[in-house]
Amino acid sequence: MTSAAAPAELEGAPATPAAAGARRSGAAATGILVFPGVLWLAVFFLVPLGIMAVVSLGAVDPGGHVTLANPGLGNYGHALDPEFLPALGRSVYYAIVTTALSLAIGYPVAYWISRYGGRHKILLLILVMLPFWTSYLIRTYAWMAILRDNGVINSLLLDVGLIDQPIPMLNTDFSVILGMTYGFLPFAILPLFVSIDRLDFSLVQAARDLYASGRGAFLHVTLPLTMPGLVAAGLLTFIPALGDYVTPDVLGGADTTTVANLIQVIFTAGRDWPYGSALGFLLMGVTLIGTLAALRSLRREVIGMNA
Amino acid sequence: MTERHLPGIGFNEALEQKLAKANWSRREFLARVAAFGAATALTQLLIACGQGGGSPSAGAPTSGPTPEGSTTAEATPTAAPTAVPEPEDELFVLNWDQYIGEETVAKFQDKYGIKVTYDNFADETEQIGKIQRGGNGGGWDIHYPASTWVPTFVTDGLIQKIDHSLIPNLQNLNAAWQSPAYDADNSYSVPNMWWTTGYAWDPRDIPGDLTSWAELWNPARDNQMSMLDDIRECFAAGAFRLGLDPNTKDLGELDRILALLEEQKPLLRDYTATDQIDYMIDEVVQMAHCWSGDWVQMTYTKPRMRYVIPSEGSIKGNDVMVISSGAPHPIAAHLWIDFNLDADISAENTNYIGYMGPNDAALPKIEGYIKDDPRLNPPQEILDQLIELAYLQPADLAQYTDRWNALRA
Amino acid sequence: MSGRPSRWLTGFAVATYVILFAPIVVLIVFSFNNARRGFTWQGFTLDWYPKLLRNTEMLDALRVTLEVALIAVIGATILGSLLGLGLARLRFRGAGAVQTLLLLPIMTPEIIMGISLLVFFSQLFGLNGSIGQIAIAHIMFCISYVAIVVRARAVSLDPRLEEAARDLGASAVGAFRHVTLPLLAPAVAAGAMLAFALSFDDLVVTSFNTGVGSTTLPVQIYSAIRFGVTPQINAISTIIVAIVAIALLIAWRLGAFRTTASVVVSEPEAA
Repeated sequence: MTSAAAPAELEGAPATPAAAGARRSGAAATGILVFPGVLWLAVFFLVPLGIMAVVSLGAVDPGGHVTLANPGLGNYGHALDPEFLPALGRSVYYAIVTTALSLAIGYPVAYWISRYGGRHKILLLILVMLPFWTSYLIRTYAWMAILRDNGVINSLLLDVGLIDQPIPMLNTDFSVILGMTYGFLPFAILPLFVSIDRLDFSLVQAARDLYASGRGAFLHVTLPLTMPGLVAAGLLTFIPALGDYVTPDVLGGADTTTVANLIQVIFTAGRDWPYGSALGFLLMGVTLIGTLAALRSLRREVIGMNA
Repeated sequence: MTERHLPGIGFNEALEQKLAKANWSRREFLARVAAFGAATALTQLLIACGQGGGSPSAGAPTSGPTPEGSTTAEATPTAAPTAVPEPEDELFVLNWDQYIGEETVAKFQDKYGIKVTYDNFADETEQIGKIQRGGNGGGWDIHYPASTWVPTFVTDGLIQKIDHSLIPNLQNLNAAWQSPAYDADNSYSVPNMWWTTGYAWDPRDIPGDLTSWAELWNPARDNQMSMLDDIRECFAAGAFRLGLDPNTKDLGELDRILALLEEQKPLLRDYTATDQIDYMIDEVVQMAHCWSGDWVQMTYTKPRMRYVIPSEGSIKGNDVMVISSGAPHPIAAHLWIDFNLDADISAENTNYIGYMGPNDAALPKIEGYIKDDPRLNPPQEILDQLIELAYLQPADLAQYTDRWNALRA
Repeated sequence: MSGRPSRWLTGFAVATYVILFAPIVVLIVFSFNNARRGFTWQGFTLDWYPKLLRNTEMLDALRVTLEVALIAVIGATILGSLLGLGLARLRFRGAGAVQTLLLLPIMTPEIIMGISLLVFFSQLFGLNGSIGQIAIAHIMFCISYVAIVVRARAVSLDPRLEEAARDLGASAVGAFRHVTLPLLAPAVAAGAMLAFALSFDDLVVTSFNTGVGSTTLPVQIYSAIRFGVTPQINAISTIIVAIVAIALLIAWRLGAFRTTASVVVSEPEAA
């Protein structure tokens, strides 16, 4: 059949359906499909990024300008400061928890929309996005109004008598993770949906008919088949979460600083573009290596699961 | 001919730019010059007859005295004011949003028929990046940077000399502002708003009169305080507590200040430079390190809030209006500055945003709660004791930044 | 089969929607707050709405933001969808590199991206910011999102379907249009929606690319924090939500959301 036995498509994995299209990999087809996007990214992303890479090798002269008089890796050495480790730890912690929550919440919702949304699927998806067509700042201020000690939640709980003292929720790790998960939820739900929507539910039914438990059917049929969506959702949540400095800043407190915040400070108050760029590239390097490694190991595991 | 009455050095460049931009044919150009000459001559005539014809400011006396310290090269100490060349019909301004009187832009447009494009920026780094863009102001005419940037901008050729003859309202400036340290004689900038730093608190939670920086280190207020998310301001607060200079470059002193800030950090709820107003209004914190204008904003919603300039000393600062060296509409730009120095307009600006301006003539029209409050409008003796945050060389600033990141990480 | 969902699942989904809209409800309520700033209720007023309608600067910023978003969504959706399909479908040398290239913009700290574009456009091209410049930047960082979402869908498409259409006489373009595209449509639509949200709300990268007369709404709103975030901002957000909600309602009533075109082949699922 189409995809029952095939592992999900991951980076470079020899997935059966797509690989069967090898016949079509003519140069023209590749060109038309891939080239325009790649060209756009090359010109408007890689070149400017290259400029910053060069900047990261420079320094700031007494007049405040970037100078390349003595290029070197000094900024990178400066950025490898052990004092930054707690911030790095927090960045990773927030990103992992946010991603896990986004996937855990997003998957059932995407499943529900796809499976039971029927005629209203697209409408339901648009409703997921609708809150995010307002201003980020005002949404976040609204969260502050909900979470603060005299805010909506605490007032309600106090009135009803469930608590005696307000629960401190704002300016904590909790509010940061809540804010981040909220912000990234659509970026999890939508990719998950497009993948779950392709699922042939009769396969799940077949598994049940063959005496698989509900859980077993999910683990061995549904999950692997929707792996592309999971991977996409994971990427589109985890990676930006690592770089999010605004949410820890606005919803966080004195002790929720992430590496992204430090980079921000170095660029703005510190007025040191070379040093800031170096720290930024280090963060990117860590993210890239981590992401590629995770994808690789995930591919191995998934292939193993279906072997 | 009309040479003597042409404004400052910037005009020729401006004229060239305008020509290039308008792609005027030679005939058009000559026609306009003739018209300009005629207008100038006519204006002279009218003024000499005692009417305020071409003068840009309704309040300026007809026999304009040369403003103190005017550096216009050709300015001769004549009795008659300089004629105003024909202003352009547009003006591009870049400023914080809401940082001007509610009606100021509209009134300016009505008065001069000049269309104003009022753009905003989200933070200072972006603002400076835009001023530096293209080496000449990034496309805007008027900018509002902090005063400490002025020397750098002058060195880098980003801003142009201001023709004082086009800004008769300069005489409205308080004497103390006629020649500030960062820009002698206001050659390149005109002061806009100034402020002090201190802290605000809610008397309902914290009764009594507070006067010291030490209150922000009080363990009884655990998780009830916020400090400004601003390296220099936080280090200054620490410096004042230790009796040190907030502009110090001594590494030993910086380490001592850092230690003090590290003591404080566990007691703080947050560091913020934007949310302190809402935190106080919404009772998220009881005490907030803030600027004087922040406190005024708090009182609009919660009038009971109190503010103090701590007794150990504090910071004062100001920002300025500058004209880009590449300004497409230099004449209009001068008119804008003059307009904002008008007594009524300056008072309206102050009343709306809660920051004091440098304008003596505006004082009668400034609301009492701003003008009479020694915390918003301190008497000169106190003002003289307040310190400005000096511009730091990159190497020195790096010492602050590194310690700050160590504190925050 | 479209059986009935378990109550838990439905409850969970509904609860999620409630949480998604919770801050929106709060911000709508506080658009009627009779206070110049803050989210502490001081009494009811309708004043902010007429004030907003007279606020030409904010309306201009909204117009700029929408123009940018429109261009960005169209550009990113086209380029990104083609890219995502190409990556899923074709085996070509450098596919791995292209995949990594897609991830890089998402990994780049926004301030670095913003400043890099400021320098790029001003030093190399002498440009001083404009709606076009902002749109170019937005297309750039949205391509990755669209491509990754479309790819997730495209990898499970059987290319033999398209080949079957070709065998039956369809042209390459026709096969694409009538077979592949409908099957990809939900992913393309999802990508477009994500791109719109990203573009509409973008702050940092945008802020370094604005020029005279091209201040966007997020930039203006952030600019206002220091001196006055009035409930006008709540009001404009409320109006946007209201307009979109009403448009959705009308479209829904007109049947715009009927069954998607995925039924061409396979699924024995009842339509």
